[in-house]
Amino acid sequence: MAKEWPKPSPKLLEKTHHLMHDGFHQRAFPDTAYDLPEALGDARWTDELIASAWYMAETGECPDHLNYKTGRSGGGFDKLEFKELPADQQLPADAEVDITLELNRRGDDRHKRTIDVPWYGGGMSYGSVSVNVMMSRALNAKKWNTLMSTGEGGYPPQLYECADHVITQVATGYFGVEEKSIQAAPIVEFKYAQGAKPGLGGHLLATKAGEEVAKMRGSVPFVSLFSPFPFHSTYSVEDHMKHLDWIKTVNPTAMMSVKVSTPHDVDMVAVGSYYAGAHIVHLDGGFGGTGAAPEIAKKNIAMPIELAIPKVHKFMQTEGIRDNVTIIASGGVRTADDIAKAIALGADGCVLGTSDLVAMGCTRCSNCEGGPSGRGCPWGLTTTDAELQEWVQQAWGADRLDKYYTALANRLKQILRELGLSSVGELRGRTDLLRYIAGGE
Amino acid sequence: MLATDLEKASDNMMDGSVTIKLPVAEQARLNRERADTYHRYHIDAMETEDRQKFPRRFNVKVGKFGLAKLLFTEFFKYFGHWDVVFSRPCTYGVFSGPVGGFSPRPDLCVGCLRCEVQHPDFVKVTHNPELAAIGDSYLTSKHISTIDEEARKGTVPVRGQGYRGRFGGPGFDQMFTDMSEIVRPSRDGIHGRELIGTSVDLGSKPMSLKFDSNGGLLDAPKMLTIQVPFIYAPPPDSVSTGIVPEILAEAAGTVDTLVFLPENTVTNQGLASPNVVPMIAPGQMGNIESHGNGTRMVEMTSWNLDAWNQVKEHPLLISVQLPLAGDWMSTMMEMVDNGVSIIHLISDHHGESDDGRFIMDLYQEAHFALIEKGCRDEVTLIGTGGIAGADHLPKSIITGMDAVGLDHPLLIAMQARLLGDTKTRGAAGVKLPSKFDQEWAVQRILNLSCSWRDQLLEILGAMGVREVRRLRGETGRAMWCGHLEAEAFGDIEGFPGGEH
Ligand code: SF4
Ligand code: SF4
Repeated sequence: MAKEWPKPSPKLLEKTHHLMHDGFHQRAFPDTAYDLPEALGDARWTDELIASAWYMAETGECPDHLNYKTGRSGGGFDKLEFKELPADQQLPADAEVDITLELNRRGDDRHKRTIDVPWYGGGMSYGSVSVNVMMSRALNAKKWNTLMSTGEGGYPPQLYECADHVITQVATGYFGVEEKSIQAAPIVEFKYAQGAKPGLGGHLLATKAGEEVAKMRGSVPFVSLFSPFPFHSTYSVEDHMKHLDWIKTVNPTAMMSVKVSTPHDVDMVAVGSYYAGAHIVHLDGGFGGTGAAPEIAKKNIAMPIELAIPKVHKFMQTEGIRDNVTIIASGGVRTADDIAKAIALGADGCVLGTSDLVAMGCTRCSNCEGGPSGRGCPWGLTTTDAELQEWVQQAWGADRLDKYYTALANRLKQILRELGLSSVGELRGRTDLLRYIAGGE
Repeated sequence: MLATDLEKASDNMMDGSVTIKLPVAEQARLNRERADTYHRYHIDAMETEDRQKFPRRFNVKVGKFGLAKLLFTEFFKYFGHWDVVFSRPCTYGVFSGPVGGFSPRPDLCVGCLRCEVQHPDFVKVTHNPELAAIGDSYLTSKHISTIDEEARKGTVPVRGQGYRGRFGGPGFDQMFTDMSEIVRPSRDGIHGRELIGTSVDLGSKPMSLKFDSNGGLLDAPKMLTIQVPFIYAPPPDSVSTGIVPEILAEAAGTVDTLVFLPENTVTNQGLASPNVVPMIAPGQMGNIESHGNGTRMVEMTSWNLDAWNQVKEHPLLISVQLPLAGDWMSTMMEMVDNGVSIIHLISDHHGESDDGRFIMDLYQEAHFALIEKGCRDEVTLIGTGGIAGADHLPKSIITGMDAVGLDHPLLIAMQARLLGDTKTRGAAGVKLPSKFDQEWAVQRILNLSCSWRDQLLEILGAMGVREVRRLRGETGRAMWCGHLEAEAFGDIEGFPGGEH
């Protein structure tokens, strides 16, 4: 059995918080004596993108001294830029710009919800992250009148205070799925697959499935938990419809979101989901994912989100149903610029996962699955270790996310003004406002 | 009779005396026996530590003065709160040696950067340049460190927080593989992939079966089956004798695949076995008779019609090597016309032909040419060269190979360093660890084989494909980055070849 670490003493908490918070500040601000750590960052999340997120999470503003817009992956979002209008044709800096997003476009009698920003928080299960991280995200979602998803790990009781902003996820292992949490949800999300490990199901390592996690999931402590792939009861759109009907019986007003990966026929899958009753089709591309996933899957299986969005958008237009459904994109959406590009490619909005964690201090070191210590994230993010999880306190996490979202929202509005658009809805599918650039590496 | 027995058996069960009589009882016993002896194919992996130090990922430098100052300050500031005084930023033990941060243990560092972010004034974590220096532009240090990990642990590498690399790319990176949202390879097992078959047949599949008047099979197909769609290619000349061939032969036997070895090595070292394929020069094909001890297949090292005609009726399977050079396509067609049933395509170690074309294109050309000719199932294609990572296996198979040859990765699994020209076939120098034994090396290769097979299962499972045989040439399962980009970005200004 894995060792249970004690909760840190108040003094240790005080010292660690002080060091960590100071550290984020010193690395992200130009007026300190320190450069970015040499080993920070990778092609997708460069050192500058990570430090920018830390800066935004502290100030609510975008940094002038760092590239907070693009990575160096040499493709996708990193090869696209906006064709800004000449300065005299742009909207003035104080012009009102609408970035709200209406999620229910089916015109049915289900819950109606307009969120204040065209993004919400993606599923990160209890077990893969701590209650503190979940609550930080939920409190921030409440403040921003947006949403966050439980992921597949149950619904910790604390979340009920933000229930109107929490999406309950039902995934293939049905871990922690209860009538109560479905009834509390404005949206129920069926996760068929996830971009980081499409077609592979989930696996929570034994070391991370401690007492509390096991209780929440209805399992035995310190035993590996598998979410099978796919739903064993679904072999067709009709079967899928049955699932949605089942939720409707439990919660007649909940909107339905269907989270799928990005295979060759993602366009058909999206249309099938719509006809089965989905209000939101959530496309999860291969380059994201916050939990542990086989390396071979992340890069190779299914297509990047940038390539899936236009495929689905155009197909749904051809089918004449595009305006009846909300397309949400995730899996590699890192910045406000990425959000805007995803929308210009045809999405209505995005889901953020990794960027929330980076704002709260993630360095993208990839040791979330436990690492050699078996304890999970040393920054207290993707862990339920009694000591480590205390490094993220709810009020601090929510405040970081609040400021981070402020910066994202402002940047998104700035992009829209530079394009002469007064609402984010006008940007949808406007590939004519994009330019493919050389470089990006 | 069966019904009567069943009735009796159930009568007995009803009155509590469970004595099932023959033949039902006998049948049940046989079924049990069969179930007990059923062996689902797997490769036994076992953690097998490195024998020579693999370059660590990070260097950790701690300024001694800064550290001393911190400890001194904290000692007084938190006097009595010993948990605070003795707390360390590193949860991985880098600063938990006898003298803590004064002598860090960078081998344990995983690069979380907590120490450097928290103590920027005296801690510095950097990428280890020694690690970056291994490998070449194709078989990169990332590939090598991944292979080392796979050979050490025998598991599928798993990491958190998404993909970190480039978008698409050259070579095998041009392809994404497809998946299905709802199709499982089978309804059994957790993910369905537990029952996926990875065996492949080498040889010519008969297009129809012929029977004699008594129902006996005429002309039994000349084929053999290996349990994984990869074979072990011959080691470079400098290590083609001695312990390396013995290691490969033992590992091939355990995995139930084939290893291709020079004929002399096989003969001189007594390695002949059903899993060893002696490679014979065309002029020496007369030696085919001398290979016993269960040998099932030999390989002719280059195409020669006369030599082939001498041996083509021989009961052993014969593969023929075909370098991807010059007009290889015409040669391949000539081979097929003359009844060669196993063609072994050989590229350089970067997966290129002599004119610099990449194997994924060439494999498709070979595969589709055979389809065009209407004889694809009568010929087995094996491709060797350019395999540097687990994803290259399914991608080679999707582009048309029945099986794939592993070369450099096997040496890297044994912690060999490749020196000099690592692109040209056979040109690299090979420096094996100074001390290692056969048992260690065999286990490392078994671990690599296990890990790569498991990763192949992940890809097949995601697609809902139950047998690797069905993946061959399934180019519909490939998603080409270039095509998808053209479809997605074609109407965007500046996209090369786009509408603007
Ligand atoms: S272990 Fe923590 S810091 Fe590292 S990638 Fe995972 S969440 Fe980020
Ligand atoms: S970077 Fe992380 S793992 Fe490495 S020494 Fe610092 S704290 Fe330890």
